[in-house]
Amino acid sequence: MSVLPFPSFLDDVKEKGLKRAALEGVNEVVERITVGMNVQDIREALRGEPASRKPNPRLQPHADGFWLHMRPSYFHRSVTGIYPTFRLGWLSTYFVFFETITGIFLMIWYTPSPEVAYANMLNIMSNVPFGQFIRDLHRLGAEAMVLIVFLHMLRTFFTGSYKKPRQFTWFSGVILLICTMFLSFSGYLLPWDQLALWAVTIGASMVEASPPPVVGTNLNLLLRGGPDIGANGLLRFYLLHVLAVPAVLFIFTGVHYYKVIIHGHSLPPAEENIGEDTAKRVPLDKRVYFIPDILTSEIMWIAVTTLVLVVLVTWFFHAPLEAHADNQVTPLGTTAPWYFLWIQGALKLGDKVLWGIIFPTLVIIFLIVIPYIDVTKSRRFAHRRFAFSVAFILLSLLVFLSYMGLSEFGVKTSADSEILHEMLMEPAHNHMGTLRPIPYDQLVVGQFTTAQFETEEFGGDIGTAIAHQNEAVAGDLEEILLAYLNSTLHLSVSSINFVPLPADAPELMDGVATLAHDITQHPTEMPNAWATVIITQPQSGLKRVDVVIVWDEVQIEDGVPVLDESGNPVFVLDENGNRIQRINGDTMFIHEDSQYFPAPGA
Amino acid sequence: MKLNRLIFERLDHRILVGTVSFLAIMVLVGWIWINENARMAAFESQYLARSIERGAELFGSSCSTCHGIDGRGALGVAPGLNNPDIFGHNFLAEIDTQVDALNLERTEVEAQGNTDRVTEIDAELATLQTQRDSLITQMQPAVALGYNPESPSRLVNLGWGSTLHNFIYSTISSGRPVSESYWSQPMPAWAQANGGSLRPDQLEDLTNFILNWDQGDDWTIEELNSVRQFAIYPINPATVSAGPQEPPVGATTTIADIMVGLQDVTGDPQSGDQLYHGVAFGCSGCHINAVVAPLVDGTWTRVETERLLDPQFAGYTGEQYLAESIIHPGAFTAPGYAPGLMPTTFGDRMSYQQLADIVAYLKTQDQVE
Repeated sequence: MSVLPFPSFLDDVKEKGLKRAALEGVNEVVERITVGMNVQDIREALRGEPASRKPNPRLQPHADGFWLHMRPSYFHRSVTGIYPTFRLGWLSTYFVFFETITGIFLMIWYTPSPEVAYANMLNIMSNVPFGQFIRDLHRLGAEAMVLIVFLHMLRTFFTGSYKKPRQFTWFSGVILLICTMFLSFSGYLLPWDQLALWAVTIGASMVEASPPPVVGTNLNLLLRGGPDIGANGLLRFYLLHVLAVPAVLFIFTGVHYYKVIIHGHSLPPAEENIGEDTAKRVPLDKRVYFIPDILTSEIMWIAVTTLVLVVLVTWFFHAPLEAHADNQVTPLGTTAPWYFLWIQGALKLGDKVLWGIIFPTLVIIFLIVIPYIDVTKSRRFAHRRFAFSVAFILLSLLVFLSYMGLSEFGVKTSADSEILHEMLMEPAHNHMGTLRPIPYDQLVVGQFTTAQFETEEFGGDIGTAIAHQNEAVAGDLEEILLAYLNSTLHLSVSSINFVPLPADAPELMDGVATLAHDITQHPTEMPNAWATVIITQPQSGLKRVDVVIVWDEVQIEDGVPVLDESGNPVFVLDENGNRIQRINGDTMFIHEDSQYFPAPGA
Repeated sequence: MKLNRLIFERLDHRILVGTVSFLAIMVLVGWIWINENARMAAFESQYLARSIERGAELFGSSCSTCHGIDGRGALGVAPGLNNPDIFGHNFLAEIDTQVDALNLERTEVEAQGNTDRVTEIDAELATLQTQRDSLITQMQPAVALGYNPESPSRLVNLGWGSTLHNFIYSTISSGRPVSESYWSQPMPAWAQANGGSLRPDQLEDLTNFILNWDQGDDWTIEELNSVRQFAIYPINPATVSAGPQEPPVGATTTIADIMVGLQDVTGDPQSGDQLYHGVAFGCSGCHINAVVAPLVDGTWTRVETERLLDPQFAGYTGEQYLAESIIHPGAFTAPGYAPGLMPTTFGDRMSYQQLADIVAYLKTQDQVE
């Protein structure tokens, strides 16, 4: 007899035997955990059999349990297929939790301080088992979440699901879209690399444009914590990323889902009229019960989606990590994150206040008021031609503005700087300089020239072309070149003597050929251009590549060469009437272990 | 829609797809787990390589002016870092190890009365000594610039107790404010925390780049001899403070008073030679050739045949000119040299006896050019 005031497990064993007592104990525990379903009930549910006892135990977790009381006990059959939801709303919610979980793991290894944030990243990548895996998942999830939430909004628009009575659901969705974008944006800064700093600097500079100036200045100070993004700015972005924005997001996720449940998932446009409340009127033959169908479907989707993400980060995607953030060095080709490119593109249209602040605000207001403007009485595609036309025009505008936001569009850089950048740039935006991924062994020490690829006047003879170039350089130009190399590029060379590119270095050959091609693409800005690639070895395992472009200087106004009446550039002449030769060059170092390609961390 | 029906409408298919997906995730995570250590090591190696590349760029823009583009130093300006002595490479180590072993064996066989073996060992020792002397002879260009083959490790000579990495990092970070006393300009502090321009990661990049000069056992004497400047060691304050100190001349003492003070002491050229080439004042660090400062050879000849003929030194004696040049270097700069390079602090660090010794030594430098 138990000393306890209730029968103990041992009493049960004595009375019923060990096996039966244990099974009944397990059954009871399972029933308590599921708030109503015992092992037999679960077995029946998973076998697709009807419930064998009444009242239906599959409804009890919805009635008595905390977690499932938030979920409807049945869905309309018409919303359980791929169409019309495409699972986008569910996926958005999945990513909220996915990002929270992966983010918590990253928080363990992260300190929001410019002194150590970047070192934390290196530590995550080099010293934390699964560190890169979790970081890649978090970054991929963040990008995917923005895309999925945006697609969810598009789907909702095209199926007309925002119409009465779901106007407020749409509004809460717009808030969630903004939260998602800002979550992704605020997380952008945290690695404290060049990509992060400059993408966020561009984004945050829009805040500064808020009128009147006193508001813009103070908002900018509030966000950045100073004139530039530094320790205060990083801490603020971190707190926004892990506390403030998630708090708003979770609250509005609750509001959004509550409204979805109250009004029911909208049925396909053909099956539901405006103002109908599907949640309360699902015919018995149209009901698909949460347990087991929706629950197993969702668990399957969790597994499938997670598998897709894991496959992607295992073989195809790695979160970028560029060089340490540097306020003093602005990388060429800096852009905002892709989902803000449309604002960056709009900024190129003119006034910063109009296009950077007023325009995006109007876009958001427009999104919010869509359900209150579009009060037509049908959700069917055929009846909404005007709305669809407007939507497609706006989407086209979005795509075009995003294209305009790219650095390739409308940003004037001198041709020589652009070419040097394209040749030598460090990995950024999934791109790197043409010469950078050349295998270390093919970086043969020597002085090479693009004249090797201009052999027409020498009957195709490379040796003669190079000898001619050596003769052309000898004398004053050699002195000028040597002075430039020594004093500006800090390269110690005592003479210029070009040699042919080695035949067993095909990738180096291709790289210099590309350079030779590129410098001829600007005949009015860089006439008579030629270039040299000088490879030296300053240390064991380390090679140095200097690219120097030489051309005849022409008059430039507003970044554009001045042309005479016959369309030729106007040369700048010295006091003796001779053309002046301009020189520009840049340097990169390549270590044998740097592994440019595969991607960093691969 | 067929796929929809096939996968999503049937409960057992959903369970199957979910289970297979879950197992696939586990397999992939296991795959990542197996490769994780190698991946982390590869990342570390790759990151170090890129750090060296960035360090190379920083060295070119910030350090090469003084330490040379090739890192071999600049005479009288800054020591070479592409230099076996900073990495502690001892060219004599192999021979010295053999000599030690033979000496040990000699003691043992001598005690045993094995005179034949003793004779053999003596012959081997003589051969090794010849090889050793030959090596040292080969190093003469470096020795002439201050390299000491018998004590070839800069860290050991400095008594540095930490790692070479920390030595380089802390030197770049904090600079060497006191090096003004033995270099034409002090090593500045580069860390932003110390008023410089470099972030901690950039200091690390520079350190990694400099460490990449190490060639381990592959250093050659040619490389040693191509170093343009070796380290000058600052005076050890502990040795300075030991024993009674003579009062310094005083950096603001007039040349007339200095000459009066010098009347009470007699200069010793040998002592002056040691002071001139020693670490306390480091004169030879700059006066080692005619690039940064006038060569020591022929100093007295130039004083007598050139300087004293200059009207501004009318009435000067040679000793007076030299004493003024040492204590008040700003009073006159030899033609062809930059003014303001020579430290003005010798007056506060040098006694009358030391000044007299150095002047006496310089008077022996009467070679004709």
